[in-house]
Amino acid sequence: MMQWLTAKWQIIESLSPFLLAGLQSTFEVSIVAIVCGSLLGAMLGILKTLDSTILRICISTYLHIFRGTPYLVQLYLIYFVLPSLGIAALEFESYSAAIISLTLYTASYVTAIVASAIHAVPKGQEEAARSCGMSKAQALFYVVVPQALKLTVPPMASVYVIVIKSTAVLSVIGLSELTRQGETAILRMPGDTMFIYLLIAALYFVYCYPVLRFASWAEGKVGDKS
Amino acid sequence: MSWLLDILNFRIIGNYADVFFNGMIATLWISLVCLVLSLFFGVFIALMRMSSISPVWRIAAAYIQFIRATPLLIQIYLIYYGLPQLIGNFFDETQTGIIALTIHTTPYMAEIIRTGIMSISKKQTEGAMAVGMSKQQTMFYVILPQAISKVISPLLGQTVVLVKDTSLLSIIAVFELMGAGLQMFSETVIATESYLTTAVCYLAIYLMMLIASGFIQRKLGGADAH
Repeated sequence: MMQWLTAKWQIIESLSPFLLAGLQSTFEVSIVAIVCGSLLGAMLGILKTLDSTILRICISTYLHIFRGTPYLVQLYLIYFVLPSLGIAALEFESYSAAIISLTLYTASYVTAIVASAIHAVPKGQEEAARSCGMSKAQALFYVVVPQALKLTVPPMASVYVIVIKSTAVLSVIGLSELTRQGETAILRMPGDTMFIYLLIAALYFVYCYPVLRFASWAEGKVGDKS
Repeated sequence: MSWLLDILNFRIIGNYADVFFNGMIATLWISLVCLVLSLFFGVFIALMRMSSISPVWRIAAAYIQFIRATPLLIQIYLIYYGLPQLIGNFFDETQTGIIALTIHTTPYMAEIIRTGIMSISKKQTEGAMAVGMSKQQTMFYVILPQAISKVISPLLGQTVVLVKDTSLLSIIAVFELMGAGLQMFSETVIATESYLTTAVCYLAIYLMMLIASGFIQRKLGGADAH
């Protein structure tokens, strides 16, 4: 038993620099994608609620395309297909392809959340703001959006967990994030495949679990007030 | 027409039509098997989670949290490398993939079913008990049918996620839609046609499911109204 423990501890010791570097890379990629995706998604979500049929159709098409196809397919399209169009600006290396695909993927979720949160704010709020003499834009940004923002917190946190977990897929295009680092480690220590995967799972758990807890806590908070 | 051939060589796609068709069939039946299994186990995990016996609900809660906080890809690897160590090479790749996806989807289904069960009024249980039903009868004949028809739309949403998740099985060499795309790419080395066709096939499945879920919701939502 003691021997087994020391053997495993040695594996942890020798792998921890690589796995922690992987975790850091996962963290960076996911944070960048979450920030960019949330901004893009918030913008599209607000645009979707405006009275413009063309905008609404365009944004809905985008949503359906990104929610109807697996993230793996989207990643392949952005990493392999866009460069073959022959436009220099679209020849991404793996890092930009990862960021761009994850941002678009995140935004597709955020757009739907923001749009439905804005719809959930009672119509009377906007009417009241308009009758106080606010312009349409003022009513939207000072009255409707701040109220909607609160409603978006719990679903947003669950989307962030989905995004963090999706970064594992980035290992297929060779980005050296946590999963990829683990795979490299397994090539060096093929006898401990299961143990290394469990270590990786534990590291993802450490990252995702607090966000999940926050989501359910926020859900309770928002649910109480409404 | 030649300019179109430069962008998208549909003649090559035509050669691979049967591969993609088989891939689509595989994706659909793998999803269907996982859906049935995860709904079945999901009911039991939901009941375990709601149990008042401490070890029972703690095990269910730990299982749910572990699955929700780690990426599917890691879970697939754990099952793929772990299962043969535990029970030997008993299952082939497809069966292993189905097991992994079922283990992944069950907690999500369980959480949805649990919210459904909790939303059913206590009076329903009291009424059923009053007419002489046992606890099990009350749960399976009175509570569960109402609960599931209440949460039908999140269940359908999770089913869409399940179909998309099958794409990750291509990484452990299961033949399905993504696998069909990868096969075409490895044989022809043309990324655009291979991956675009894959994406379009996934979108086709998604659209079919959108239409079907609208139909199901009308059918079951009607029962909710009166």
